[in-house]
Amino acid sequence: MKTDRKTKNWILLFLLLLCLGALGVFCARSLSAPAVTARVSVDGECVKVIDLRAVTLPYEFEVSSELGRNLVRVEHGCIAVIESDCPEQICVRQGFVQESGIPIVCLPHRLVIELEDGE
Amino acid sequence: MSRTKKLVLAAALAAAALGIYVLEAQIPAPLPIPGVKLGLANIITLTAMALLGRKLSAATLALRLLLGSMFAGGFSALLYSVAGGAAAYAVMAGLIGLFPEKRLWVISALAAIAHNAAQLVCAVLVTGTAGLFWYAPALLISAILTGAFTGIAATFLLRGLKKI
Repeated sequence: MKTDRKTKNWILLFLLLLCLGALGVFCARSLSAPAVTARVSVDGECVKVIDLRAVTLPYEFEVSSELGRNLVRVEHGCIAVIESDCPEQICVRQGFVQESGIPIVCLPHRLVIELEDGE
Repeated sequence: MSRTKKLVLAAALAAAALGIYVLEAQIPAPLPIPGVKLGLANIITLTAMALLGRKLSAATLALRLLLGSMFAGGFSALLYSVAGGAAAYAVMAGLIGLFPEKRLWVISALAAIAHNAAQLVCAVLVTGTAGLFWYAPALLISAILTGAFTGIAATFLLRGLKKI
């Protein structure tokens, strides 16, 4: 495949962007700390704030709206969406999260679980 | 190309885009990251832009988005589709004259970045959670890879269609 100078430059640019992206993912991982608080919001409004360190026995609660239903399980230090009636199940596949930073999100149901590390 | 031929081609491309979109919607998302997908229907958008110009490709895109939300995805997803589609279209429309056919993948990758960025902003606005921006690096990587792929595919499709 003949690649001229302009194409090569563009390839270099996108490789650089890819590296920046990888760096961003790495930063997100390394900047995160064990989660202290979980903030559950639906449609922009906070419906529950959970102190994850204070959890002794695991429990589950349901988040329901006309958009759909999610079942959230809370254990000591971590939280997960274990059931949902959304089509893609991205929220469920994200599994248990115990670190701050990247939130659990169910976009069709406008559900977001943010994790804060208290710093 | 005659006006009639353009219209027929636009309709055929819209149907193709719709078919690709619905088919891709049946495939479960590869990664548990919202917004990461192949976006194969954008092969058609870019091909239409190169072959038919801005207006007709806009119509093709609008048709695909509207019908696509009816056949798969649902109306609630329409907001994100329109935001992403409009952003991608704007980038394509702006850059289409500036790149030769063999470098369409650059336009496609840039359009894909714009698409994911617009969808991310929408998600942040809808959920009121700026924390979603943590997904940005992953969406950037996904956009570049899928955008380059669909752009290369569009180049091949264009070469084939120009023989018609």
